[in-house]
Amino acid sequence: MASVLIVDDAAFMRMMLKDILVKNGYEVVGEAVNGADAVEKYRELQPDIVTMDITMPEMDGITAVKNIRAMDPAANIIMCSAMGQQPMVLEAIQAGAKDFVVKPFQADRVMESIKRVLGS
Amino acid sequence: MDLNNYLELFIEESKEHVQAINDELLKLEIEPENIDIVNEIFRSAHTLKGMAASMGFDDLASLTHEMENVLDMIRQSELRITEEIMNVVFTCVDLIAKMVDNIEQGGDGTEDVTEIVRKLQSIQNPSIIHDEERVSAQNEAATTKELVIDEFQRSIIQEARKLGNHVYEVYVKLDERCVMKSVRAYMVFQAAEDLGEIIQTDPPVEQIEEDQFGDSFTLLLLSHHDRLKIEAQLTNISEVKAVIVTEKTEQELGNTDKQNHLNPNVTDKPRKGKENQKASETKKKPVTKSIRVDIEKLDRLMNLFSELIIDRGRLEQIARKSQIPDLIETVEHMTRISTDLQGLVLNMRMVPVEQVFNRFPRMVRDLAKDLNKKVQLVVEGAETELDRTVIDEIGDPLVHLLRNALDHGLESTDERIANNKPEEGRILLKAYHSGNHVFIEVVDDGKGINREKVLKKAIERGVISEEESYSLSDQQVYSLIFSSGFSTADKISDISGRGVGLDVVKTKIESLGGTITIDSTPEQGSAFRIQLPLSLSIIYSMLVKVAEEIYAIPFNSIVEITTNSDNEVYTLHGQKVIQFRGQVVPLIELKEVFQVPQVESPKVNQPLYIVIVRKGDQTIGLVTDTVLGQQEIVLKPLGRYLNQLQGISGATILGNGEVALIIDTNQFFNEKG
Repeated sequence: MASVLIVDDAAFMRMMLKDILVKNGYEVVGEAVNGADAVEKYRELQPDIVTMDITMPEMDGITAVKNIRAMDPAANIIMCSAMGQQPMVLEAIQAGAKDFVVKPFQADRVMESIKRVLGS
Repeated sequence: MDLNNYLELFIEESKEHVQAINDELLKLEIEPENIDIVNEIFRSAHTLKGMAASMGFDDLASLTHEMENVLDMIRQSELRITEEIMNVVFTCVDLIAKMVDNIEQGGDGTEDVTEIVRKLQSIQNPSIIHDEERVSAQNEAATTKELVIDEFQRSIIQEARKLGNHVYEVYVKLDERCVMKSVRAYMVFQAAEDLGEIIQTDPPVEQIEEDQFGDSFTLLLLSHHDRLKIEAQLTNISEVKAVIVTEKTEQELGNTDKQNHLNPNVTDKPRKGKENQKASETKKKPVTKSIRVDIEKLDRLMNLFSELIIDRGRLEQIARKSQIPDLIETVEHMTRISTDLQGLVLNMRMVPVEQVFNRFPRMVRDLAKDLNKKVQLVVEGAETELDRTVIDEIGDPLVHLLRNALDHGLESTDERIANNKPEEGRILLKAYHSGNHVFIEVVDDGKGINREKVLKKAIERGVISEEESYSLSDQQVYSLIFSSGFSTADKISDISGRGVGLDVVKTKIESLGGTITIDSTPEQGSAFRIQLPLSLSIIYSMLVKVAEEIYAIPFNSIVEITTNSDNEVYTLHGQKVIQFRGQVVPLIELKEVFQVPQVESPKVNQPLYIVIVRKGDQTIGLVTDTVLGQQEIVLKPLGRYLNQLQGISGATILGNGEVALIIDTNQFFNEKG
């Protein structure tokens, strides 16, 4: 099954996402708490897909997307955004993120997005 | 999912964030310009919001959402920190802490946040309410607009077509639950750009970017991919509910102004023959504005304009006579303007034949059922335009012709199979412009007209004599079926065949100033071709003089004008004829036909002018004394009392106020059969 790297600064959010993913049979291979951590873990774990928060300390999600894409142009990244972050989501998509889901997470939306990104 | 599992974690992290916000806010009070501090607060608020929303604490979520917005504006330097803002934010944090405490003690975290939310909103935008109204109004406007193609885009389309691209209209509907529609739309655009080139969007890109659209939008996409591929690619984007891709044809794109004409009355663009097609291709923006006008008003406008044409004729004459340069110049200018005006007035009255054609498919279907025949009706050129008066009159004759084609033209299904023809008969109804005329054809692929049968019937019914029958051309034989009291069907059916159909058709068409001809090939089918003038009331004509009287001969029937001095006049069977371009052309002395009072002519051997007129492939020569020249005349009916005049279709008033009769050349052919 596909391996996932969850990136979010809030443990609460990571836990929620992890639950959804595991329940649907995905393997969460790692969790990162900020952008820099995410880039590091991506290099190390080579996950099939990354869920990326946008606002995080140290390095934000958009910069992390750019760095990961520079490293692996085929990286599958899904942005996890809160409402009202339109411009940042747009920037992330332009930077190469494949899709986005909006918080609060709805399990079906998250799964739909992951399936589509992995499918294409 | 059971949220209670996360509750503890939620409360813990929330407390941390509330604490962090409090700490940072205090720092901010000391260093109000330090954006880093704002960033920290923003992030905490943002995380809080996400968590609260996930847990379903809506009051907490909406409060943190508004707080985050205010902080974001400060962060982007769109807002300067004031004491008031600090106070509001502090109140917020206190409220958040209170809610979190409430949740910790087993409560649901509800709190009346409307007041503080309103305060936060008014900080963000003092005129927020108006703003929302404006946005919704724009949304509404956006959904009602159509894809409008300008000249530049049109040229791109044409270029792309040459390179083998297709033009697609792509309708995309997003999930109504979709939160960031503009970003979704951006993803759709991105995917579409990979497939081709977007040349137009509705609503405009700017509005889509600002989230000012409903659930759906439309793009015009140039692509060499096929429809299904585009649909598949776009549907693959999350939260895209439906994608409908339709290919646009040249016509649909080129005729964006067609809507104007469907509305029968008014268009604000002059159209004329082929020019208008060019004009519609190069025009800046199709103006879809139109108003409805009572047709009677248009009739009156036409009438008044006709009067004006007559006065114009007079003025031209006066100007010529007077030789006053200023007057001549003015009259010339007026002539030019009135010519344009005439085009416009005539155009307003033009309606597509579609109006008449529309009812035929149903009629043909029903009729085919009745006759137990299989028929396919093909309609072409339904967009061809004709004067409204003609449109109103053309319906019945066409019904007759279609019935005739179905009943007499097409064979029975058994017969068709026996003759190795497709079981399904085909009737083509076709309209098109050519020169100053509109042609309407009814073509069937049936058995064609049987010359022998027609001749036999004609002789039986006394339409022609047996001797005459040998000298007739095929065309002449075919036209016999237009004679009254003629029917070739062996049995009289309900549908046509009462023998009153075709001669009525012919009379009607001719009363409209048109002609009807038949082409037929045995076993291949027949074609009835109706030729109609574009307009009925203003016609070009040649003015001729017979003794002292002036007559007008419509231009469209004149072939040539010659003189009797160039062509010797013979007499054949008591009929005067001339040899003209290898043809024997019978002559008709207008002087005799119209019993023009003879004046003593001083010169006996003055050459006579012969106007050669045509109908179908027959020609005759009208003998006149002088040819005066061509003029645009207004056809005026002679009224009830005089409507049976032989050879006259109406009258006109000339520039000098004299009345001239308009010759209906077709009637001279009737005499000859």
